[in-house]
Amino acid sequence: MAMKKKRYALVLDSRKCINCKACAVACKAENQVPVGNTRNWINEARQGEYPKLRIDFEPEQCHHCEHPSCARVCPTGATWMRKDGVVLVNYDDCIGCRYCMVACPYDARYFHEESGTVHKCTLCSHRVDKGDLPACVETCPSKVRVFGDLEDPTSRVHELLATRRYRVKEPQTGNGPQLYYLL
Amino acid sequence: MHEFNWGLLIVVYLFLGGLSAGLFFAAGLANYLEVDGQPAYPRVAAMGALLAPWPVAIGSALLILDLGNWYRFYKLFTHFRWESPMSIGSYLLTIFTGIAFVYAFAWLPEAWRQQLFAKVPATWKQVHRLNMDLSPYRKVIAMVGFPFSIGVGIYTGVLLGAVSARPFWNTNLVAQMFLFSALSSGAAALLLAMVLDKRSPIQTHETKFLITLDIVFIVLELFIILPYLIHGQLSVLAVKQALWLILGGPYTVVFWVFFLGLGLLVPLGIEVSELAPSLLKGKAFHGDRKLALVASSLVLMGGFLLRYIFVYAGQVSSFHKMGMLH
Repeated sequence: MAMKKKRYALVLDSRKCINCKACAVACKAENQVPVGNTRNWINEARQGEYPKLRIDFEPEQCHHCEHPSCARVCPTGATWMRKDGVVLVNYDDCIGCRYCMVACPYDARYFHEESGTVHKCTLCSHRVDKGDLPACVETCPSKVRVFGDLEDPTSRVHELLATRRYRVKEPQTGNGPQLYYLL
Repeated sequence: MHEFNWGLLIVVYLFLGGLSAGLFFAAGLANYLEVDGQPAYPRVAAMGALLAPWPVAIGSALLILDLGNWYRFYKLFTHFRWESPMSIGSYLLTIFTGIAFVYAFAWLPEAWRQQLFAKVPATWKQVHRLNMDLSPYRKVIAMVGFPFSIGVGIYTGVLLGAVSARPFWNTNLVAQMFLFSALSSGAAALLLAMVLDKRSPIQTHETKFLITLDIVFIVLELFIILPYLIHGQLSVLAVKQALWLILGGPYTVVFWVFFLGLGLLVPLGIEVSELAPSLLKGKAFHGDRKLALVASSLVLMGGFLLRYIFVYAGQVSSFHKMGMLH
């Protein structure tokens, strides 16, 4: 049987997010992210004033864009996109010019001081390739994060995007972001 | 607080790269101008040619030092990525620097050239073969170099303008703005160097040529900056919010007072007041040394500040955070 094309993506049901930051901690532990840097984080949006008040939490990380501007500007091709849509940095080719950090509309990258290269969310591709879930997805206690293959019609992400309303952040940049926020 | 990924080294590099492009262009142009079959500005052409390669050489060194892994800079040349302005720019920069050095060599006075080669051990025969007089080829080298100098001048702007994530940069005007600023900086630097050269004082017709050149470039630059501001204000919200950085935001004073005022309009005023009597009323051009000194220094400061403002303000601008700035 021929290998079917894959397109990994994350669907985020951010209304379930309780800002516990377990995803950020799990990611740091899994990927040895240095203190002071993060590959994923939670945005807080406050609205109104007491007693009419609400606060929204919205997890964010690399959007693994369809047309990643970071990969386009990279002068050595160190930033590249796998066939399954995961955007990665080949650390051996990264010269540390930080053009990709400037070009990322989501500021999802950080400069790794020790190696002098740029790091970012890998969608835990080392785990995914073994059939496991990304660390942030596995750990999320309120089940905000759903990981899966958009090309697989039986997958949960496929079902959610087919049946629920959703949005992506800053689509006007033309990057084609692949983090889907359910409404 | 927003973190700046590109800092002062990048600002200095963008300035020095543009400066070299401008010096080369002005020097090459002077080399082509003749009066009655004789070169009109041979000393301007010589000074510019000898100065041109150094700023870009220093700038490129700074650029390499700014990398996270400076020793990996060679990887820029083991890859070619036509979609990446930085990739195209590194090739442009290397070729331009090479041409600028060859051009400087072609203008090296005979005595200096012999002195230089006297320092090379006599056994290095291959090196001594390079001891040749390239002065007949000056015009050819200048012609080959023109497109590359313009290319380097434009590329420093394209590097920023091509980043769609930063609305402050992402307009089709930044490239031209940087180009004209670079050309004007080059003319000003040449004027400054010739005014400061005490051994052979600058002559009036040389001052007039350089001032005229500078006026042309500054006016062209103004014609880019005005539409940048106007069009930005009339553009979509993200661009408008990005422009707030220089229209009330943290870079307002440095933009309006130090860049546009002191770095552009004041030197333009000085230069126009110097040139206007001879241009409009047929009076003799005097070319005050001190005024030329002040005007050219201010233009250089303005050129530097333009890059400073764009590198820093541009990085603050973005599609997702601008709303919070207000």
